[in-house]
Amino acid sequence: MSIEVANLVFNGSYLAILGAAIAALAGIGSALGVGIAGEAASGVVAEDPKKFGQALILQALPGTQGIYGLLIAFIILQKIGMLGGSGLMDLSIPQGAYIFAASLPIGLIGIFSGHAQGKAAAAAIMLISKRPEEIAKGMVYTAMVETYAVLALLISFLMVNGVQI
Amino acid sequence: MSIASMKKLSVIGLASEKEALMKSLMRLGVVEITTQEGKMTDEEWGKLVFQDGNESAVSEYEGRLMTVQQALDAFSKYGTEKNPLFQTRKPVSRSDFDNKLKEKEKIEAEAKEIASLSARILELNTEANKVEANKLALLPWKDYDIPLEVQGTKETEIALGVIPSAADIKELERDLKEKTERCVLEHINSDTEQHYLFILYLKSERNEIEEVFKLYGFTRSMFSDLKGSVASNIEAYDKRLSDIAEEKEKVIEEIKSHQDSREDIEYLHDSLIIERDQAAIRSRLLLTKKSFYLEGWVPKIAQEEVEKLLNDHGCYYEIESPSKDEDTPILLLNGKFSSPFEAITKLYALPNSREIDATPYFSLSYAIFFGMMLSDAAYGLILTIATFAVMKKFRLEGMAKQLINMFFYCGISTIFWGAMFGGFFGDMVAVIARTFFNSDIALKPLWFEPMQDPMRLLYFSFLLGGIHIFLGMALNAYLSIKDGRVLDAVFDIGLWYLLLIGLALLLVGVAAPLAKWMSIIGAVGILVTGGRHKKGIGKIIGGFTSLYGITGYLADVLSYSRLLALGLSTGVIGAVVNTMGSLAGGGVKGFIVFVIVFIIGHTYNMLINTLGSFVHSSRLEYVEFFGKFYEGGGEAFDPYSEKTKYIEILREDK
Repeated sequence: MSIEVANLVFNGSYLAILGAAIAALAGIGSALGVGIAGEAASGVVAEDPKKFGQALILQALPGTQGIYGLLIAFIILQKIGMLGGSGLMDLSIPQGAYIFAASLPIGLIGIFSGHAQGKAAAAAIMLISKRPEEIAKGMVYTAMVETYAVLALLISFLMVNGVQI
Repeated sequence: MSIASMKKLSVIGLASEKEALMKSLMRLGVVEITTQEGKMTDEEWGKLVFQDGNESAVSEYEGRLMTVQQALDAFSKYGTEKNPLFQTRKPVSRSDFDNKLKEKEKIEAEAKEIASLSARILELNTEANKVEANKLALLPWKDYDIPLEVQGTKETEIALGVIPSAADIKELERDLKEKTERCVLEHINSDTEQHYLFILYLKSERNEIEEVFKLYGFTRSMFSDLKGSVASNIEAYDKRLSDIAEEKEKVIEEIKSHQDSREDIEYLHDSLIIERDQAAIRSRLLLTKKSFYLEGWVPKIAQEEVEKLLNDHGCYYEIESPSKDEDTPILLLNGKFSSPFEAITKLYALPNSREIDATPYFSLSYAIFFGMMLSDAAYGLILTIATFAVMKKFRLEGMAKQLINMFFYCGISTIFWGAMFGGFFGDMVAVIARTFFNSDIALKPLWFEPMQDPMRLLYFSFLLGGIHIFLGMALNAYLSIKDGRVLDAVFDIGLWYLLLIGLALLLVGVAAPLAKWMSIIGAVGILVTGGRHKKGIGKIIGGFTSLYGITGYLADVLSYSRLLALGLSTGVIGAVVNTMGSLAGGGVKGFIVFVIVFIIGHTYNMLINTLGSFVHSSRLEYVEFFGKFYEGGGEAFDPYSEKTKYIEILREDK
């Protein structure tokens, strides 16, 4: 039993899939962030239903971390052959471990930056409740947070892309 | 191009010409008339002139406008006409405009009627809310069948009330019985928050009972103004609610029956706005017994027309250039390509009158960045066609027009970059060919596919970023030189150019010896000159902190990696959608699944990435580019003109 489990866990393909799963965890951050922004948006729209569109735009901003996570997960799955007809490849343990490591930046930073961006988006929504004409500034403040998710996406992507299979 | 140069205008005219002149000025709509309150406190001016103005007329117009606006709001709320996607002003000649308003009184009476109908709906809604609240308060008591006006008999008293749901009814009953046997407790209802109780006791024992009540937090519910049983009251409330709903329906129908006059009322609204503004502008004029005085701003390009008008009205005027550090109102004038991007500038802040309008310098890079981030020819095509259709269909003005036009150009740029990188609905062509036709046709990129060679695109992004930042720095240098601070331009920009270009060349490994010396001279120069505005030890520390600013440039350049990341994101998510669609395989069933997944997935991908591209292009301009030279903070040029909302009165060609 224990040998079977060890074989399963210390197995290149499994590690790679685990990596894809971790990358997709970035969605946690987006879920939190979009949720926080949504609460603020409902509060503002309760006062002025006309702000629905503007608030929705701001609410959508923290949603990108989930997409970035999905993106890396997808690239990993494609790389190891889980998508498409070729079937799951047999990876060596180092290969799997490299892919696992490569998934960490977007997986972790996605969670925290999504959460933080959600708070910034909520504040931006409060901003448009008072000054709807300043939406661009609110958007830029919110996008400042996203920079770090973009950097994490980039580094995860370059790492996954660089692993030789 | 860029910021329109403004001239300062001062006019003295005969009071008898005042009204006619103000009317013509409004129609011309190119003069901003400034407030003269400052002059009134000046002793010499104060002796000569007094302030014109007619506040009561203004507030009367405001009141009438409010009524008319209520009528129009009622139409958009209750009317059957669809509200258009974009609100546009209808172009109308002046004679048509005047003709429409011949029966102004009649239209206004109608507007008043509609406004009162709309107010009636508000009243009904308030009442309905109140009735609803009363009904909700009664609902828990619906099983209590003693008429509510019965509050006891000669000897007994009824207490209706609630205790918190945490309290135990049994214990309350036991405690009551302990005090006196002669009381009755009945449990009427319970909800998550409280228990509803009926308690009957002797008036003579009221004090003892009250003690127990206090212990359990018993609160009496008051129904003092209600008669009859609870059930009959609820029924009455229901009846009232349905009556209200019915009456509301009727009122709405009546509003709808007036719908044909909506346009007339819009005309009225705009004519009231014009009249109000004509009354309001008077507070900016100064008067003597027989003459008036006004000051304002006029753009240089409109100077001739204004002069002609002033001559026609026999006014004495002076037009002079503002002094160098005087704040003038800002009017942006740009070419056909750049002017839509003014929207982005305005969303940040208008330039102040001492700097330059950034718009012409970033419009191209904005379009390029947007295109690279969306980077899908099909999405670009959709964006281009959609914005083009909107431009053709609606007569847009102002900000909306600029934004739509801007997205049109951005769409074209997206098509270009999509073609360069081979994105058309992600990898749709290849997936369809593979899934349904078993062939391996794919759309070949004109340049290269970012997925295959991401580093190349990353370097290209950095290169673009470097150029962009250098342009920003060059503008900073230009502003310094224009301001007469040549040394600042050399030390703060020139030395950095040396250092940064040197480092970049070293990194790439070109012209190494020259690059090395460029870097060294640049770095040493910055170290020496960086603290030149400081005193004492600050001169040394200032140099180091200036040189430390190199991390800022590094971060700025790295920031452009989002061009690659967001571009990849569009392409890969598009590919995910296509792959998901193709999972059902070929054949008719597979095709149907593909179409459904395709439409939903790509709509979502396009929307979210268009938003992302808009936001991140703006960010690159605002933070990385504007940060280098732009201050902002100018006031918009606000000419005295016909600021109508629904009708655009066309200028007559003479």
